[in-house]
Amino acid sequence: MTWQQRVVLLVLGLALLGISLALIRRRRLREEYAVLWISTSLAMLVLVLMPSALFGVASWLGLEKEGSAVLLLAVIFLAAVAVHFSVVITRYADRERDLAQEVALLKDELMRLRTEAREAPPLPPEPKPRPPALRT
Amino acid sequence: MEGIARRRSGQPHEGLEGRRTLVLVPALDAAETIGRVVADLRRHAPWADIVVIDNASTDGTAERARRAKARVLDLPLRLGRGGAIQAGFRYAREHQYDLVFQVDGDGRHWARRLASLARPILAEEADLVVGSRYLSPRGRRRRGVRVIGTRLLARLMTRMVRQRVTDPMSGFRAAGRRAIELFAREFPQDCPETLALVLMWRRGLRAREVRASTRRRRPAVAPLGLWAGLAYLVKVIPAVLMDRLKAPVGPKGEAV
Repeated sequence: MTWQQRVVLLVLGLALLGISLALIRRRRLREEYAVLWISTSLAMLVLVLMPSALFGVASWLGLEKEGSAVLLLAVIFLAAVAVHFSVVITRYADRERDLAQEVALLKDELMRLRTEAREAPPLPPEPKPRPPALRT
Repeated sequence: MEGIARRRSGQPHEGLEGRRTLVLVPALDAAETIGRVVADLRRHAPWADIVVIDNASTDGTAERARRAKARVLDLPLRLGRGGAIQAGFRYAREHQYDLVFQVDGDGRHWARRLASLARPILAEEADLVVGSRYLSPRGRRRRGVRVIGTRLLARLMTRMVRQRVTDPMSGFRAAGRRAIELFAREFPQDCPETLALVLMWRRGLRAREVRASTRRRRPAVAPLGLWAGLAYLVKVIPAVLMDRLKAPVGPKGEAV
């Protein structure tokens, strides 16, 4: 890898690490995703320090440079993450739909009960419990 | 004369005696028309309960519907059209209705034609009946992009469900108990009218079209412009084709 590529990778890795930490601090990232992005940034930093780690991958794929291997792995990884998020979003949308429908039905039920309660004849006053006789 | 008077006074229509019937009116920002639609239904279909499903409108549709004395299912957030309609089918299942009608909230359907939709279901010849605009001789004269798109979709659907379909997007429908049960459990979210037909066919339920004309929309708003129409086709055609990939859904909503 050229030194320019390593600098870019270093900057990106540090930025990702910084952003992840900031998001965790503001409670805007769930733990599972925090772990995912921190490990990703750490992997990037490892590659900056020892790009030869990818040499095996690069030569197996017939790529001449480790830089190309980095790009290829990044594309594969990001595609996998995107598919995963689509699945998660679909699940949340389904739950949101179920909840919204349930709320609508419950609101209707509540209104029905309220109307019935208003129209029902008032309950006879409850007999007041007698105060216990004082022991002498 | 007497028959009309009796019908108006709330006596059930022939064949509908003793059936619990419900009309679902999915509505999105339909405050201008919803009052008239509900009043129309109350007049021409007094034997049915009316539920307006308000898909989180911002123009006071729910309020207007309540004022017209309809029950309102008030969705707390906006769902797709399918999600809104499904809320109505869940309501119908919960309250054990035998027959559910669906009518658009914009007032283009004729409330007094409702009973004719029910006939094939009462005769146990179909689980779902769709009122088609293109089976009627008057409708055949219509032209335009929308009709071409509908025709294209109708052709695809006819192949798909191996039965003649002329108006897959029609929102004027009646569903019997089996369809209510199915739709409460599983219902397409986008383009629900078309995809519900595919779903039914896959589950072995029978659908049938009957003639039903529509009146011009009031207020006159084009339902789908050229681009919206094309976008609809782009969305619905792959969805129809993809349907055969899907695993069925069990009673608790899990894939089986």
